[in-house]
Amino acid sequence: MSLLSVAGVTKRFGGITANRGISFDVAPGELVGIIGPNGAGKSTLFECISGFYHPDEGEVRLDGRRLTGLSPDNVCRRGIARTFQKLRPFSGLTVLDNVAVGALTRTKDVRHAREQARELLARVGLSEKADAYARTLSTGQRKRLELARALATQPRVLLLDEVTAGVDQRTIPGLVQLVRDLHAGGLTLLVIEHNMRVITAVAQRIVALYLGEVIADGTPDVVARDRKVIEAYLGQAYHQP
Amino acid sequence: MKAIAPALVFFALAGLVPLVVRDPFLLDSLILILLWGAAGAAWNIAGGYAGQVSLGHSMFFGLGAYAAALAGTRWGLSPWIGVLVGAAAATATGFIIGYLSNRLRGPYFVLATIAFSQVLLIGASRWRGFTAGSEGIPVPFRAGFWTLGIADKRIWVWIILALAVLVWLVELYLERSRRGYQLAAVREDEDAALSLGVPARQLKVAAIAVSAALTAVCGALWAQYVGFVDPVYVFSVDISIRFALAAILGGLGTALGPFLGSVLVTTVETYLRAQFGGIGAGFVGIYLILYGVALIVMVRFAPQGIVGWVGARLRP
Repeated sequence: MSLLSVAGVTKRFGGITANRGISFDVAPGELVGIIGPNGAGKSTLFECISGFYHPDEGEVRLDGRRLTGLSPDNVCRRGIARTFQKLRPFSGLTVLDNVAVGALTRTKDVRHAREQARELLARVGLSEKADAYARTLSTGQRKRLELARALATQPRVLLLDEVTAGVDQRTIPGLVQLVRDLHAGGLTLLVIEHNMRVITAVAQRIVALYLGEVIADGTPDVVARDRKVIEAYLGQAYHQP
Repeated sequence: MKAIAPALVFFALAGLVPLVVRDPFLLDSLILILLWGAAGAAWNIAGGYAGQVSLGHSMFFGLGAYAAALAGTRWGLSPWIGVLVGAAAATATGFIIGYLSNRLRGPYFVLATIAFSQVLLIGASRWRGFTAGSEGIPVPFRAGFWTLGIADKRIWVWIILALAVLVWLVELYLERSRRGYQLAAVREDEDAALSLGVPARQLKVAAIAVSAALTAVCGALWAQYVGFVDPVYVFSVDISIRFALAAILGGLGTALGPFLGSVLVTTVETYLRAQFGGIGAGFVGIYLILYGVALIVMVRFAPQGIVGWVGARLRP
């Protein structure tokens, strides 16, 4: 039984078809990676799942219930949280308040929400920054903040858009470990990732997109060796033994 | 700014002044400070807390003023009923403006609010049969609390003070409640707020509607206090700017800020009126220049407003 099901999602912008009949399922507890070159339609797909775009055809279901057509805030309340590729912290709020906003989607009690926010900040390693304004954080810290904020909404599926993009090499292992820990804790994740080394290490399954279509769907080593994926995305150089 | 002690002191002092001061000019100044402060605070709910900057809030103020005046002159009703009718009309208009805020962002929204207030101005000045047109309406004075015919300015201080505290309490709610947190998130980044399950669009509309209703109450009480409603004044961009200015100078999105801003704006204006009244009345317009200068100085040296500036210096 799949938890998240994407069925025939097509999204057009004028003459451009950003997503064409995309279908795949995500099982509970699974960590699925999405790869593809720039313009493959990865981010568009995320927008369609999270309700920011409404697909022209097809639908997205969570636990069998239709999400397509709902507004983004409703999609979140149904149990899908996301991070943004271009980070969007609430700059003028404190780090703690940023996370509390997420928690307040599940509780009406501000004090309770702030307690939960504190716990989540500890989990992502941002406790010391709780009272700082979000605008003072480094990029790596902002990524952690976005994670904590999304987790505060108690998602059943977490969509991560390029967690390792734009942060320096030393920061990546910590973020990757965080994602692993979340997965180990039973969370279902759908992860867009450019860094092949990262995604093959953490994902149980990879869906490869190219020009808006699914060109491969399988375990990381199968997808990494897929001829179409290599031609479209990885390039011959990646063809390792 | 979560400390409420300064605000309590401010309101307590304002409430005690009438016990000591009898001078009608000073009492009048205090009433106007509280009234423009309350209107600035009502504006702040939309412009500061929700981040929906409007320069057409006079539309709500004017609706309230007309509702109170017409209730008395046309139907012989209590202006208190006019207050409610004005608030209801402003709320309905607020919903339309709120809907627009989901379509138009930034400067386009500001322009739309100005346009709306000007449409109401034209309506009120042309619909002679109902509003008496551009001549305006003298509000009949019928002595009594129920008819708001009160000659004693001290009573007016307390009435307007009650209104000011009411608006301040709404602001306080927006600083501490769940809805307040969510509204702050919408102001900072609407899409991010949506992604976290915040019903951003509904919250914005609600904030604008509440802001509109409270602004209308200010307009209704102002009409009763001043005794005359002139469409060119109550629907002017001028007073829309005054609301915004009080909030911006005092501190956007702070509860006490608009009241402090109002002290500044109202005092300067009253002083100039007193100084250049009568023969030099043409100079009264100089306050607009001073507004401009004050705004430039403020944005340059204290962009967080008075509250932010003082707050930063008090913090260790």
